[in-house]
Amino acid sequence: MTWFVAGVLLLLAGGAAAVVFRRRPRLAERAYVALSLAGAAAALVPALRVLAGGSVEGVRLVTGVPGGAWVFAIDPLSAWFLLLMLGAGVAALAYGTVYLAAEAGHGSVAFGRLVFSLLLAALALVVTAQSAVPFLAAWELMALGGYFAVVFDDRRDDVRRAGLVYLVATHAGTLLLFLLFGTWGSRAADLTFAALAAGAGQLGDARSLVFALALLGFGVKAGLVPLHFWLPEAHAAAPSHVSAIMSGVVIKAGIYGLLRVAALLGVPPAWWGWTVLILGVASAVLGVLWALAQHDLKRLLAYHSVENIGIILLGLGVGALGLAYGAPGLAVLGLAGAVLHTLNHALFKSLLFLGAGNLLRATGTRDLERLGGLARRMPVTWAVFLVGAAAIVGLPPLNGFVSEWLVFQALFQAGFSRTPAALSVFGAAALALAGGLALACFAKVCGVVFLGHPRTEDGQNAREVTRGYLMPASALAAACVAIGLWPWLVLGPSVRVAAFVAGVPAGAALELARPAIVAGRGIALLAALAVLASALLWWLRAAALRRAGTTAAETWRCGYALPSARMQYSASSFAAPTLGVFGGISGVSAVRRPSSFETRAANLVLDRGLVPLWRLLCAGSQRLRPIQHGRLHLYLLYLVATVSLLLIYLAAWGSP
Amino acid sequence: MTVAVQVLALVMILALAPLFPGVVWRTKSLLTGRRGPPLLQLYADLDKLWKKGAVYSTTTGLVFRLAPAIFAGTTLVAASLLPLDGRAAPLRFAADVVAFAGLLALGRFALVLAAMDTGSSFEGMGASREATFGSLVEPGLFLCFAALAIATDGTSLTTMLGQNLAAVWGDAAPALVMVGASLFVLALAENGRVPVDDPATHLELTMIHEVMVLDHGGPDLALILYAGAVKLALFGAMLVSLLIPRGGLPPALSVAVLVAGLAVTAVAVGVVEGVMARLRLTRVPQFLVAASVLSTFAIMLLLSA
Repeated sequence: MTWFVAGVLLLLAGGAAAVVFRRRPRLAERAYVALSLAGAAAALVPALRVLAGGSVEGVRLVTGVPGGAWVFAIDPLSAWFLLLMLGAGVAALAYGTVYLAAEAGHGSVAFGRLVFSLLLAALALVVTAQSAVPFLAAWELMALGGYFAVVFDDRRDDVRRAGLVYLVATHAGTLLLFLLFGTWGSRAADLTFAALAAGAGQLGDARSLVFALALLGFGVKAGLVPLHFWLPEAHAAAPSHVSAIMSGVVIKAGIYGLLRVAALLGVPPAWWGWTVLILGVASAVLGVLWALAQHDLKRLLAYHSVENIGIILLGLGVGALGLAYGAPGLAVLGLAGAVLHTLNHALFKSLLFLGAGNLLRATGTRDLERLGGLARRMPVTWAVFLVGAAAIVGLPPLNGFVSEWLVFQALFQAGFSRTPAALSVFGAAALALAGGLALACFAKVCGVVFLGHPRTEDGQNAREVTRGYLMPASALAAACVAIGLWPWLVLGPSVRVAAFVAGVPAGAALELARPAIVAGRGIALLAALAVLASALLWWLRAAALRRAGTTAAETWRCGYALPSARMQYSASSFAAPTLGVFGGISGVSAVRRPSSFETRAANLVLDRGLVPLWRLLCAGSQRLRPIQHGRLHLYLLYLVATVSLLLIYLAAWGSP
Repeated sequence: MTVAVQVLALVMILALAPLFPGVVWRTKSLLTGRRGPPLLQLYADLDKLWKKGAVYSTTTGLVFRLAPAIFAGTTLVAASLLPLDGRAAPLRFAADVVAFAGLLALGRFALVLAAMDTGSSFEGMGASREATFGSLVEPGLFLCFAALAIATDGTSLTTMLGQNLAAVWGDAAPALVMVGASLFVLALAENGRVPVDDPATHLELTMIHEVMVLDHGGPDLALILYAGAVKLALFGAMLVSLLIPRGGLPPALSVAVLVAGLAVTAVAVGVVEGVMARLRLTRVPQFLVAASVLSTFAIMLLLSA
């Protein structure tokens, strides 16, 4: 743990350096990146040791306080999340160093860097805290760090509004977490996780209450449907590197919380599994459908986070059903799929947001309809974005495929498990639908942004961004490819983490998951074959063309005499047939005028649910205004009346 | 020895694949009172296209040139996952069925992007429709796979369509027939056949797959046409393996039955093309959902057994 503590201190030192040296930008940038990278590397040393099967001593930082000692330790679950959070986090941090430097006119760069460091340190503490009090403290630090990172450009109205929605949502979630640990802690010796686990047996009926509170409290953070309403607002409004960490990493804290509580509570009843599974289906399908309806690139990516949280929940749900119905093989596969998808999503979602940042920097717009033809002008950004897109769609040979494959495998296995869990096999159809829609969505994004002709001048004048922007994104893309081509790098460790959550010994779990781990080699072989076959055909075709020759010409434009770039298929028109199939639930309204077609997408839960509800509440409260008028003697009368009523109640019905 | 037989069966199907679209054409032509092109027409077309040069739009880039090779490469590699000799595939592992679907999806992704690369609204329309119907085919396909997984206790195509299947046919016959019907509908949609799409039409507003690959020519078009034929053969092989379990037959006979079965499937596709009109675009989703409903019933039957 010495390494870990040193790592966190180095991360904080990096943030401090950014503030101290703010008058000397070059020095500040270098010190900030160097210290943060060193800090993340140091903190990951014990995590990697744990994932390889070793163990690490915990530390007790504060003792003798209410709620028990402040214990920090790294078990397989902590180690896994530490790896993905710091891994994707420092890539976003390095990117943000360059990105923020160019935003100097919009806010305090030094402060932006400091809150980012605080956010990373808070994340590291959230996943290593082994007691409720430091966990909640770190959780709050993370929430506030996220808020200040999101509202960097706080002179814009939409940014302030998004920040407010985020702040309200995250604090509502935190309140539920206080309730959770309060309920649980009242039946345990103290608030350390060890004591809570020991007290889980005495919870009785309150056990389901604890689960429900965890699902709601952590669900707000994770952004599962219908608690996702804050997510597209906040993730779109933030600077791109902050969007990357919010969407790729911070929402994973919600998944971490769910997994942690699941591990502490022990074997779940079946209905928990079904609830999680159904929420997973809803999040996966609705998330991607709403994503398809967006034209703002960053909102679109944010909605895809909802989809991917759904995929993670599908894995979790099957895992829980496996535990509930006594099928440990199913539990290990489902949980391993969920855990692995958490890592993969952190990698490719951060990558995509960094790519969106490059586009924003080069063109000044996030509106898909204004872009086009950027593949020629920004070839490196195009290459890494395409890797991220293929990964999020779940195509081989990339990492997203590996984890979706594990979840599919768990769903199919549930089908012939001869338990009531068999019904979850229909989840496979939902997952396949989400995959098909994601393909349509990213075909739209890649096609409209990077291919064809530029639609406006924004795209025409774009130039490739500098190395400082491209390196972090390339590193993430390399990680996506590596996991796709060598899946066994991550299959073993993810099974260990799943075993820890399921309460199955690691050795037994590895044995149960052996077919899947062996099949990892099959996937690698297949991926290699597909690449080789395509390369061979490409070469044969090139040889044939060398003999016959090629001609360059204009694309045939249906015989129009004056073709214009605006006649290309737009993002709206590309998505329209798919959205049409799903009707109202896609939240889209089409605006048709004689020479234009436009679709507008609503945030259904926020715009049609919460905001009207809030207005209703405000209107109702207005009716109570007359009793609040500032006359002190009447207020005293209220007090006397209330106390008297309570006394009468106690005298008449109260126990002696 | 067995691996040699499996590879041989694979090579044979890949070599015979361009024959089956010929059978479809001939059947359709006969039913509509024409003689139709020769059975081996596609071989001649491929030969001609391979020798021709190509015209590339100045708008297009690497994606447009790479996509046909990726489409063909992924389709050919996906073929190695099917147990074509009735027993086992040359390449098999747990849940390889997901990899099969993943490879086909990668091929579709490449073609859709290539269409968008031309910057033509015409091809954009095809790409958009292909993506829409592809996303509706996917869940139906996975429901079929799920039903087969439940019936055969396995997640590999080798167990789903190979030896395990023969043993369960007696008990699960009604469900398996429903899965077969669903798979046939999906095969029509996935391969751009009537009533979802019409490979013969050249009327802009009705085209899907054909318009998507309109700008490809020469060897690129040859690769797309060949891979399309292989894809049709793969879906046909799944259907034949499902309806006629061949685990007990000697390998040579098993492959012969498969080829005969593929010919019959091609005739069936031709009959559908001959007697049905293309559905209106807005009707297609209902048609595809009907296929999903069929396999959902099949799963219900299997689970309640």
